[in-house]
Amino acid sequence: MKDLVVIKVQSDPKYLSVIRTVTVKMGELYGLSGSAIEDIKLGVDEACSNVIKHAYGGDTHQSILVRYRMAKKGFEVLIEDHGVKVQPESIEGRNLDDIRPGGLGVHLIKRAFDIVQFDQKKRKGNRLRLVRFKK
Amino acid sequence: MEIEIKDYQGMKVMALSGEIDMYSSPALREEMMGLIDKRVTPLLVDFKRVPYIDSSGIATFVEGLKRMMSYGGRLKLIGLLEGVKEIFSFSKLDKVFEIYGSFEDALHS
Repeated sequence: MKDLVVIKVQSDPKYLSVIRTVTVKMGELYGLSGSAIEDIKLGVDEACSNVIKHAYGGDTHQSILVRYRMAKKGFEVLIEDHGVKVQPESIEGRNLDDIRPGGLGVHLIKRAFDIVQFDQKKRKGNRLRLVRFKK
Repeated sequence: MEIEIKDYQGMKVMALSGEIDMYSSPALREEMMGLIDKRVTPLLVDFKRVPYIDSSGIATFVEGLKRMMSYGGRLKLIGLLEGVKEIFSFSKLDKVFEIYGSFEDALHS
């Protein structure tokens, strides 16, 4: 078996805290620094919140699959859903100087991870690949 | 997350306890907008027991601030822990919100 951990979580916001807890634990196991762990915790939380909001349109009875592994490049997280296809160009956040509600989550994901990439090969749903390089 | 509404020297204080995320922010929004609809000012928010906030929580406070500004109200955020303060700073909101280290500082401003 590959050195990885997979969790499957119902698309209900009440389980986001479970995802955060596992993300922190994985960051600790892989030796990330305290500030890096805080960043990835928030980044993965934001990505999963986006799945609930955008891919599932708020449907809390679907599932989110989160895979963690230490790849050659660094700490990798794959987040999969079977909801509505997300257009990668639509994940641009707002200009941070434009003070209004919303549009901050994407910035927090990109702050935490060096690679933020949707797998275009996935036919149904989305697979978001997040990698934080080894520093 | 727990939300407690208190009176402190004639001012309304919303004391929060726990993580603010997509799950808890709707309840926070409801409580805060209830006070804002009554044109409460100033509204003090005690963050001392909030170890985590995500973008939905930040959005809730931005919405609240904008509504309060429409009637000249003041929203004062107090006692932000380092990680939470850092999110406000990253999103350039530390220049928009009134952020204080203590109740004393907030009262004398």
